[in-house]
This record gives sequence, C-alpha cells and structure tokens, in this order.
Amino acid sequence: MVFSSVLFLFRFLPIFMMLYFLAPGRVKNLVLLIGSLIFYAWGEPVYVVLMLFSTVSDYIHGILIGPRRGTKAGKALLVSSVVINLLMLGFFKYADFLIQTINSIGGWDIPLLELGLPIGISFYTFQTMSYTIDVYRGEAKVQKNILDFAVFVTLFPQLIAGPIVKYRQVQDELYNRKFNICNISYGAKRFVLGLAKKVLLANNMGLIWTTVKGYDYGEMSMFTAWIGIAAYALQIYFDFAGYSDMAIGLGAVMGFSFPENFNYPYISKSVTEFWRRWHMTLSSWFKEYVYIPLGGNRKGLPRQILNIFIVWMLTGIWHGAGWNFVFWGLWFAAFLIIEKIFLKKWLSKLPGIVGHAYCLVVVLASWVLFELESVTAVGGYLSSMFGMGSGYLWDNRALYLCRENFVLLIIGILAATPIFAKPVKRLRESKAGYAMALYSLGEKVIPAVLLILSIAYVVEASYNPFLYFRF
Amino acid sequence: MRMNRDKMHAFLTIGVICGILLAFTVADFLNEDRLYSEKEKRVLAAKPELSKEALLDGSFMEDYEAYVTDQFVARDKWIGMKTSVELAMQKQEINGVYLCDDDYFIEKHEEADFAPELVEEKLALLEPLVEQWDAKVMLVPTADNIMKNRLPDYAEYFDQSAFLETVAERVGEDNYIDVYSTLLEHRDEELYYRTDHHWNSLGAYYGYKAWEEAMGYQELNYNPDSMKTVSEDFLGTLYSKVNIEVKPDTIKYFPSTDILPKTVIYDMSVRKDSYYEAKHLDTMNQYGFFLDDNHPFIEIDTGISNGKTLFLIKDSYANCMVPLMAPQYEKIYVIDLRYMNGQLFPFMESYEPEEGMDVLVLYNCVHFLEEFKYW
Repeated sequence: MVFSSVLFLFRFLPIFMMLYFLAPGRVKNLVLLIGSLIFYAWGEPVYVVLMLFSTVSDYIHGILIGPRRGTKAGKALLVSSVVINLLMLGFFKYADFLIQTINSIGGWDIPLLELGLPIGISFYTFQTMSYTIDVYRGEAKVQKNILDFAVFVTLFPQLIAGPIVKYRQVQDELYNRKFNICNISYGAKRFVLGLAKKVLLANNMGLIWTTVKGYDYGEMSMFTAWIGIAAYALQIYFDFAGYSDMAIGLGAVMGFSFPENFNYPYISKSVTEFWRRWHMTLSSWFKEYVYIPLGGNRKGLPRQILNIFIVWMLTGIWHGAGWNFVFWGLWFAAFLIIEKIFLKKWLSKLPGIVGHAYCLVVVLASWVLFELESVTAVGGYLSSMFGMGSGYLWDNRALYLCRENFVLLIIGILAATPIFAKPVKRLRESKAGYAMALYSLGEKVIPAVLLILSIAYVVEASYNPFLYFRF
Repeated sequence: MRMNRDKMHAFLTIGVICGILLAFTVADFLNEDRLYSEKEKRVLAAKPELSKEALLDGSFMEDYEAYVTDQFVARDKWIGMKTSVELAMQKQEINGVYLCDDDYFIEKHEEADFAPELVEEKLALLEPLVEQWDAKVMLVPTADNIMKNRLPDYAEYFDQSAFLETVAERVGEDNYIDVYSTLLEHRDEELYYRTDHHWNSLGAYYGYKAWEEAMGYQELNYNPDSMKTVSEDFLGTLYSKVNIEVKPDTIKYFPSTDILPKTVIYDMSVRKDSYYEAKHLDTMNQYGFFLDDNHPFIEIDTGISNGKTLFLIKDSYANCMVPLMAPQYEKIYVIDLRYMNGQLFPFMESYEPEEGMDVLVLYNCVHFLEEFKYW
C-alpha cells in the first residue's frame, strides 16, 4: 500500500487510527503490529512471511547476544545475525545482478531467478541489523517482548521508504509512548505536507522528466536536457522527502519521534554537505556501521580514501542492483575525496555561488547515472547536457517545456529551499498577537488546502509511481 | 495561558485535517457505485471478487485499489478541481489535449509515437489492397496539422505531410487521394469539432470534394450553407479528456442526403432507412448520429441505380462522409477492421459483383497508423 492512494487515505488510515486510539495502553502495540502487517501484506502477500522470519531471527539473536556481549560466542552470534540479513538481502535483491554479471563476463547462460524484490527489504534489514549490532555493542537494550520487537521491524509508516530508524532511537517509545496533543497536531500537519510534496510536486515533476526521458538524446538541445534532469532531481527529492515527511508525521501522531531524513539538500555548497542533507538516515547508518568500523579517518589518508570508496560503492548498490548504481556511488566517492584533499578549502575561499553551482552540476549529473541504466543512454544524455546533443542551446521543445511548466518549476525550486520554512518559523515563535493569529489561521488553512488539492490529484492519479521498488 | 492556547489550536488543527479525511471517508462509504462515467467516457472499475489465488498473486489488491479510486465520492468534481489547478498554473496542455485559441481543443500526437517501422508495417498492408483491388487511399490529416496556427506556442505535433508524401509514393499518384491540400486551403474555416477529435460535416464536405474530383465523378451540388443543425450541445471526446467548461459544438448535416429512399443494414441484421440516428443526440456520444456510431459491417442500398459498388474500409472519420458519397454508387459495403476477425480478401471477394467494385481506404492518419490491420 502506498500513502498517496484513496485506499490508504480513506480506508486504511481512518480505520487504523480509530482502532489505535481506542485501544488501551499495551494493546496499542498489537493494533500497530496487525495494522502494519495488513499494510505490508496488501502489497506483498507472500513476502510478508520473509519479514516475519527476519523479525523472529533477530529477536532470538538479540536475546542470545545480550548476555554474551564482548565474548567470542557473542561475536559469532552477531556475525550470524548480520550474515542472515545480508544473505536475505543478497538473495532477493542481488542474485540476478550477480548472475547477469557472471554471465556477461564468462559468456555463460545461467538462467535468472527472476524473484520480485520484496518491497522495503533494504529498509527493514538495515533496521534489524542496527538492533543486533547495538545490542552487541551495549548501546541498545535487549528486547524480550517479541510484540514490541515486531512492532519495531514492521512499523508501517517507515517500512517501505524510510527513514531508516535505528533501534536505539525508538527503544523507549516501543513500550512507553506519551500522547501529546501538540505532537499529534504537528504529525498531522507534517503528514499533509509530505502528501502534498509527493502528489502535487513530485508526480508533476515526474511528468516533465518522463517526457524528456522519451526524447532522442542525440537531437536534444542543451536547455531541454537541463530542464529534464532538474525536473527529475526535484521529483526524486519531493517524492523521497515527501515519504519521509509522511512517515515522520504518522509516527508523531502515534507517539514516535523518527529521525529527520532530508534537510534542503539542494542548497548545499559542496558534495560533502549534500550528503549531510540527503537521505540522512542512510548515510548515518553507513557511517556508523561501516565507515567507522573500517577505521574511518583514523588510519591515515590512504586508508580513509579506501574507506570512502567502500562505503560509497555500498551506498550506490544499496539503491538498486545494477552497475549504474555502483558508478553513481563511486561518482560521489570521487568528489568527496577530491573535496577532502583540496577542493573544500578552495571552495571556502570562493563566493558561495560557485559552491552552489558546482554541487548542483555534480548532483544533477549523478541523477542521469542513477535514472538511466544503459551506458549509451547515460552517455547520450550527458552529452546533450554539455552541448553535444543537437548542438543547439535551446529549441522549441525546451521553450514549450518552460512555457507549460514554469509555474510548477518555480514553486518546486522555491519549495526545495528554506524560503517558506523560515518565515513560518518566525511566525510560530512570535509572541505578538497579530503574528500569532496569522500563524494559528495558517496552520489550519494551509494544510486544509494542501490536503484537498492532494486528494484531487490522488483521485485522478494518472501518474503516481512508486520510486523505491528497486531499493 | 500560552500552553492552553497552544493546545486549543493543536486540537483545532487536528480537527480540520481529520475532519476532512473523515468527512470524505464517510461520504465515500455512503456513495453508491457507478457503472460508467459519462464525464470520462469509460466503464469504471467494479468491486473485484475475492479468491485465494487473487489474494496471493496480489491481483485482488490491485483491482480493489482501482475500484475504490474509480468509485470515490464526487470523482468528477475532484477531476474538475485538478483541471482548475492546472489551468491556474498556466498549463495549455491537459491529458494529451492542447487548449488552443478560439476555444479549440486539439489532440496532441507526437512524432515519436509513429516510428518508421510502424509506418512501414502499415504501408506494407496497403500494397496488396492497391495491387489486387486497385484500392484508392484517402488519409485525412488530424486537426493539429490543419490548424497548427491555433496550437499553443512551440507546441509539438505530428506533422503528417511527410508521411502522406510517402503514402502517395507507395500507392502511386493514381491511387492516392490528396485531402491534405484541400483541407489546408480551407484552414480558416471550422473543419473539425472544437471539442471532439473528428472532423465535422464541413470538413467531410471538403473531403468529399477532393475525392469526387480525384475520382472524376459527376459533381453533386451540396451546399454547406444549407446544412441543418441537429445539435447545439455536443461535447465530444476531447472535452471528456480535459473537462473544462466550454461552449458546446454544433452538429450539422446535409439534409439533401436524407431524401432518397435507401436501406442501411447494420451487421447483417438491423435494417434502417436513413444514414442518421437521432437517438445518439441524447447521449454524450453525439457523433454516433452519423451511421449509428461504429458498426463492424454495413450494407447500403443507396436508392441509385447505376450498377456501381463501393467497398469501403474505414474508421469513424468516414461516418459523416459516407452519406455524401452515397449517390455515386448503387451499393456500398462498409467495414470497420477493428471488429474483423476473419481474412479480409475472401470476405471482400464474397461481396464483389461480377462487374467488379471500387475499393476505398478512408481513415484519418492517426487512426490509420494506430488501427489499420487485417489478415
């Protein structure tokens, strides 16, 4: 089930929330577990079993690891937990990729397994691994109650598209959640905001990109190529950040505080900064459980460079089983390393606009790699972006795209910056009567309008893709 | 004080958001299912049946989602709201339709949808018809080509002139009937419906003239000024796609085509004595007025005795031109290939009189490329 659907908004959500708030104390977790399983099984009626298996496996591992912290047996159990998770992920996500690669290298013809990728598997395996690792490290308490643990793994708000919540971040909230009317109100507003980002901005940006993607790159003007990839950049941002907003919002309504996932990534002045603002829970996961254990920056520059390469190759391939994703990760690794060695110092001496421009070019080019899979398509598209397509700066298509979408593009670009958030914050914190009244009115009218408009776009959803089916 | 005030506003905010969601949830539960959407001109999804297989392979869930979305309360109003938002954002293209000058809706066709292989495939199908039956080919350009000056600035369209030149080359000048140039000469007149993808009776009249001239037939005196209006509230297929309030179209026809006593037999069973069926004027599909909408096969006795027979292979564009052509023949067979399952040529042979018959392929360019197919 996806959030941006009639089914979720007008069937699942009202029924679930009613039961959830009617249920007394500890029963809430049971409602939450059953609700989450229905939510997941609606889209994955078979693979729900896999998720339950993963839950039971890590629940048992946690109980066994807890008393054996720091011992060899404890370490062996931790390895077992991680290996089981990675095997699951590897088998369902990467088996065919591996077979294809072996086939093309060796010229063999091993048949593909063609298993469908279980939705959300990359998110929940990372979450359960954070649990066993943290238990081993003594950073998380052992969860003896399987219901509470199952709630953590299956929690529907962030199950299929993040944020990736580490167990220790919610361990207290799993059995003791405080309900606060202000948090519920915040969560409801946040959910509506996320829904609007997804259906009003992301889907419409996606339509521009789908159009441009379908053009012949050899005949494409430079301007068309840039509009197209900028539209894609805004699509994936609003889609992903929108899902995160919806997850964080639903979590807040239910008494959870999930970590933030996006912080205006496109205003970054360097690639390093971009990755501190983009999909923050994934980068912090990799940092904590891969980069630092590998030695991070503590073992000299050459080793650090190697570590960066490893982490970014993994980050790349986490996004999908394909070579383009590997190269996408390595592309960022290269810039991160260059920045570490000298570029960051140089950039800090130049006017901010240079950093902004550089970062946007690197990121936009990366989306070409991310979104177009074949070498010819990537090469063709990048060529047109840098003026080697049709050789024209612009053409009728570019002008038409602009004329037809300028309002949407302007709103999208502005919404990707903190330009709206800043005055809202000032109003919220104001004590003066007039500003306070304006805020009180706005916090009702704006979500109401966004919600009504989003419903219209959900009901007539000719284009409502789910972008994370490869994650 | 502040604390209580904050709480009150939080409560109100929750009330607004949950109120909207709950109100439509309840309204949707009370809302009754519809079979068909007049506005979208399509059958809406119905409640799927529950079975173990459908649950396990996920098809039940997909069908159920389609069902709740299609049957959502006030669906037409939501669609209208979405359109209003798009208009407010200055869009001139909605759902594949250009919103053009003079209240014209023009369907968008992209060159990329008609790859050279597709063109080649369709041309190869024409060749045996031309070789074995000496078929004439008349392909009508769509509105975007004739009225390109009314399209939004920089708008893309599928330019059919190059395609038509290829057709002319392949079937030969003698078998190709050029209607493109004729329509282009009259582009400032209203040749197409403003809200529908068909040409109107005036367009068909110019089409007829081009055909009459190419065939060297005796000139029939149709006078566009004497056309009779049968409807002033026609909102066609393009209207259904964009759903914007617009001045409706008028449907006209040439009353002189309705004078001669004739027989029109639809699908070998239903016998009528007119080319026109007024009952369609009360439905959304008013273009069905011409030749009773789409039929797989029609036999026409035109009431003329000149011993000539025409076998017409056509799409819906032909429906309003057939009455104009009728007096040139004694017998006309009309086939719509979309409904034809058997082999075409044996079927044609079974209707061919001893003295032979004329064959005409009459489509608009887009329908031809999308739909022309036979065995």
